[in-house]
Amino acid sequence: MNPGAKKILLAGLAFAAVYGLLNNLSNIFLLPSAPIISLRPQIALPMAVGILVHPLAGFITGLAGNVIGDAISGFGAFKFWNWHIANGLMGFIPGLAVYRYIHRIDTVRAFGLLQGGIVLACAAGVGAAVVLDVLFIHLLTFPASFPSWILPAFLTDAVNGFILVPVILLLARRIRLTLETRTILMITGLLVVSILATAGAITWAVLDDLVSHSAMVENFYIAAVVSVLLLVAGFIAAIVFVRKVTDPLAGLARAAQAVEQGDYDLPGLAGVSARTDELGRLARIFEQMAGKVRERERTLQRQVDELKIIIDREKQAQDVSEIVETEYFRTLKDKARKFRER
Amino acid sequence: MPKIIAIHSFRGGTGKSNTTANLACLLARQGRRVGVVDTDIQSPGIHVLFNLDPKDTPHTLNDFLWGKCDIGRAVYDVSRVLGPEEREKLFLIPSSIRTGDIARVLHYGYDINLLKEGYRKAIEQFALDYLFIDTHPGLNEETLMSIAIADILLILLRPDQQDYQGTAVTVEVSRQLEVPRMFLIVNKVPAALPGDALAAKVTAAYACDVAGVLPHADEMMALGSSGLFCLTHPDAVLSRILEDILRRITA
Repeated sequence: MNPGAKKILLAGLAFAAVYGLLNNLSNIFLLPSAPIISLRPQIALPMAVGILVHPLAGFITGLAGNVIGDAISGFGAFKFWNWHIANGLMGFIPGLAVYRYIHRIDTVRAFGLLQGGIVLACAAGVGAAVVLDVLFIHLLTFPASFPSWILPAFLTDAVNGFILVPVILLLARRIRLTLETRTILMITGLLVVSILATAGAITWAVLDDLVSHSAMVENFYIAAVVSVLLLVAGFIAAIVFVRKVTDPLAGLARAAQAVEQGDYDLPGLAGVSARTDELGRLARIFEQMAGKVRERERTLQRQVDELKIIIDREKQAQDVSEIVETEYFRTLKDKARKFRER
Repeated sequence: MPKIIAIHSFRGGTGKSNTTANLACLLARQGRRVGVVDTDIQSPGIHVLFNLDPKDTPHTLNDFLWGKCDIGRAVYDVSRVLGPEEREKLFLIPSSIRTGDIARVLHYGYDINLLKEGYRKAIEQFALDYLFIDTHPGLNEETLMSIAIADILLILLRPDQQDYQGTAVTVEVSRQLEVPRMFLIVNKVPAALPGDALAAKVTAAYACDVAGVLPHADEMMALGSSGLFCLTHPDAVLSRILEDILRRITA
């Protein structure tokens, strides 16, 4: 086995053990969530392993970890095998989504792919589990299982991953703090805090009613879905907003680099300079500046080209002969020669 | 073997005295014993750069040329410009600024053998390694003498057409005087002009080595003729180029 594959396998299995233990713990100490699916912050682990080590390591962590967790929780190691695959996919897909940014997540684009990959991973994982159940296991019933199993599984994993994976990647310094990532992290943080606080406050207010009136549970799920949709919509809006600010800055940086290398054609700046805001003004000033530098350089080049040393040889010969043909010069030359010979 | 270095330019205002004084100071700083002669009898000026008050110079080059004094009495120790404690490193032979003295020398002239003998004695008496001759611009009889005496001739020019033409005459005349070594120094070059390209063009036009291209220095302008640039701004580009010039001409 080549060393890369060995490392992936070992890391996958080591983190699988941790993930399995955490799964067992959350089965013992239930966190408030849906009736059957417990709130599982540990889902961030296979996702982070998939990003930090390798997507396949994330897959192994999710899959084997779920096997271990089910086994020691007494559910039977392979009874819910479709959920093992679901966990594997949740570890695999985020790593795949940011595979290009394996060494550093430093742009809004990379961060958007990361968060999108996490949500997609949860959707794909839960979707795969549902499809496999319908085909082979026949445990879920429709539509009853939707609010009690499927939706909570997706929502809790997606929200946990969405919040915790960036935190882990920040601690691991895989997310580099740039103007772009700082901005999107700040907006995402505000978004998460405000939506979760609202959702939490509402849940807290109606908790007693939820327990006594099961009819309200459905409404509660609708509220949860709306919250998550708001989170996703807000996140997408934030990405668009941040890119509207940072893309022109990146364009300006590229333009500055081009000028530094003597390239004064700045087609990339046209879109920015058309803006009516401060960045547009900056871009226009920059274009003018580059134009002036170009003009100055051309003038200079012209001067250098024109830097011809024109010597009128006829006049030179005439001036020289006027001096050297004098009696004084001849005497001087003789004397100079004499004391040089000395 | 002591060397006589004459610094000349076809036209005035090329920065001749400044360059001479700075080169002399740099050499003295390197531990050489250096003398400077002001042969610009018509318009002496280099003494100002060396903080030498004409009141303190009872004997000048003029007195020597008329046989009024020995050359040694016209030599003044100006090492103090290098530092308050410095002595016996840098010497100046000034010209008289008295109009009567100036007119008299110009009228009667002097003999090259006398001048040469004076330099020889000064070099011997003060154990000089280098003697710089600051000349009057143009090609009059006195400057031709300085060129004829020099072991090394430095011709300063600015990058403009009038200087180019005059320098061509100077270079040719100096060749006929069989100056052993001759270099051009382009001075007051606008900062925007590429020095290397200019040096190449000048070298080609005159078939003569260019010892250096000195940029037009604002700091030097600010100092005017009241200070020695290489001492006050030792790390400036200009000082570095002056050092390069010295390396080339003394090699």
